[in-house]
Amino acid sequence: MAHDDLRSFLDTLEQEGQLLRLTEEVLPEPDLAAAANATGRIGENAPALYFDNVKGFTDARIAMNVHGSWANHALALGLPRNTPVKEQVEAFAARWDVFPVAPERREDAPWRENTQEGADVDLFSVLPLFRLNDGDGGFYLDKAAVVSRDPEDPRNFGKQNVGTYRIEVIGTDRLAFQPVPMHDIAHHLRKAEEAGEDLPVAITLGNDPVITIVAGMPMAYDQSEYEMAGALRGAPAPIATAPLTGFDVPWGSEVVIEGVIESRKRQIEGPFGEFTGHYSGGRRMPVIRVDRVSHRTNPVFESLYLGMPWTEVDYLVGPNTCVPLLKQLRAEYPEVQAVNAMYTHGLMVIISTAKRYGGFAKAVGMRAMTTPHGLGYVAQVILVDEDVDPFNLPQVMWAMSAKVNPADDVVVIPNLSVLELAPAAQPAGITSKMIIDATTPVAPDVRGNFSTPAKDLPEAKEWAAKLQRLIAARS
Amino acid sequence: MPLPDDPTICPRCAFETIDRLATSPVPGVWDVLQCRQCLYTWRTTEPARRTRRDAYPDQFKMTVADIENAIEVPAVPPLRRAG
Ligand SMILES: [Zn+2]
Repeated sequence: MAHDDLRSFLDTLEQEGQLLRLTEEVLPEPDLAAAANATGRIGENAPALYFDNVKGFTDARIAMNVHGSWANHALALGLPRNTPVKEQVEAFAARWDVFPVAPERREDAPWRENTQEGADVDLFSVLPLFRLNDGDGGFYLDKAAVVSRDPEDPRNFGKQNVGTYRIEVIGTDRLAFQPVPMHDIAHHLRKAEEAGEDLPVAITLGNDPVITIVAGMPMAYDQSEYEMAGALRGAPAPIATAPLTGFDVPWGSEVVIEGVIESRKRQIEGPFGEFTGHYSGGRRMPVIRVDRVSHRTNPVFESLYLGMPWTEVDYLVGPNTCVPLLKQLRAEYPEVQAVNAMYTHGLMVIISTAKRYGGFAKAVGMRAMTTPHGLGYVAQVILVDEDVDPFNLPQVMWAMSAKVNPADDVVVIPNLSVLELAPAAQPAGITSKMIIDATTPVAPDVRGNFSTPAKDLPEAKEWAAKLQRLIAARS
Repeated sequence: MPLPDDPTICPRCAFETIDRLATSPVPGVWDVLQCRQCLYTWRTTEPARRTRRDAYPDQFKMTVADIENAIEVPAVPPLRRAG
């Protein structure tokens, strides 16, 4: 069943034993971030955290780590909490085929209950803002869905973008904002700034769990995230019209912030501890003037901790990065079996593929680097055979150790594009990229001695399923 | 507006003009302060490593040159000529 807002998903997490309520008084810093940081260190089925007793606040409600485990990710997609990762990615890929599912417009959005406008806007009075990492330049909105339109084609629903970007609060009504040049909103901003115009934006916080997944998903420029959310939910995504911008925003959001990115202005922002496990910034970034805030009564502030992986963001964007790459590769190369792009947004990708002929796997690796997402990420590709599970890292390491002849199977290509946040890039935005072909050579590539592999027994798969059932029944 | 604990300087860039962005809903517990030069923002109840110049880590300190010379992301594009 689909969740229409964050609150109903928090209820589901609680019923499934995946929500931990922290009732004792905590400090806004460092406790909130430290607790969420710790969820990434206590195993892969950690719960979401809910705080409502934060020192100095009278009515703060803060949810963290909502997507921060495989169990929570499964529940967000309406799957059983113990669904294995590979099956979650396959289910996600199968639902993609239903795209597009038209959204359903509703008029009674609960965030219409309260409004601040113009000089009355004060983000600190609506949101219990706090710092994540020691070196962060300030307090961030890091789990928002930001809606913008193509200024040259504003009525095109598909080109309306819903994306997640880092946003620093730099005033009671001012935000600094990071659009990575590869991302859709950077195209919108460039077109607006070339014309000398401000770019209107609607920033929605505390969204239903699938909106958050599609907002962090590398989709094609003219594909609608709302139509993808409908496909993933198995039900039309509920949307409403934002009062100031007229943009389409999630019906179920806790808070809707509207304003403009001020044209041709840059201001110091950051640093911020990023998903790369490194700080980036301070850089001169675009700034947003907030003109209107709409919010539910007693809004829940949803945030996520990120820093050295694994953290919530890795569970959140790991699967949704695998699926577009899988689909785009399979479109031309149906031999591709599975794609694991779960390490640092796909800076490193593992692909399993059958081979058409000698050299084929390396071609699949090069294609991964030229997909739209690959242009800004995919700096290392490991190719494995069709019978290796790319999510099973011991199997991948076996393939690397047994099948790679470095002189022939490692290819390094200099001076390719990568997002500027990549810590190893030099200069920022430029990197070499590497393919490691850990597949078995096939004719006419006749290298090595691979003629007598040991295979799993034919009955082993059935036994694995049986043992898993027995173990599950025991607990 | 005047700040409670004078003298306050920015832990990050040592600038002396500090604004108050917010104060705790429970009176007197904390303030959120901001440096007018580097925009560093902190809550007065944060650990010393984030609030005091003498305890602030060197690798995160920032100078006027750092601020003025920081690269633009994304770069401001040329204005498109009308017609
Ligand atoms: Zn400063």
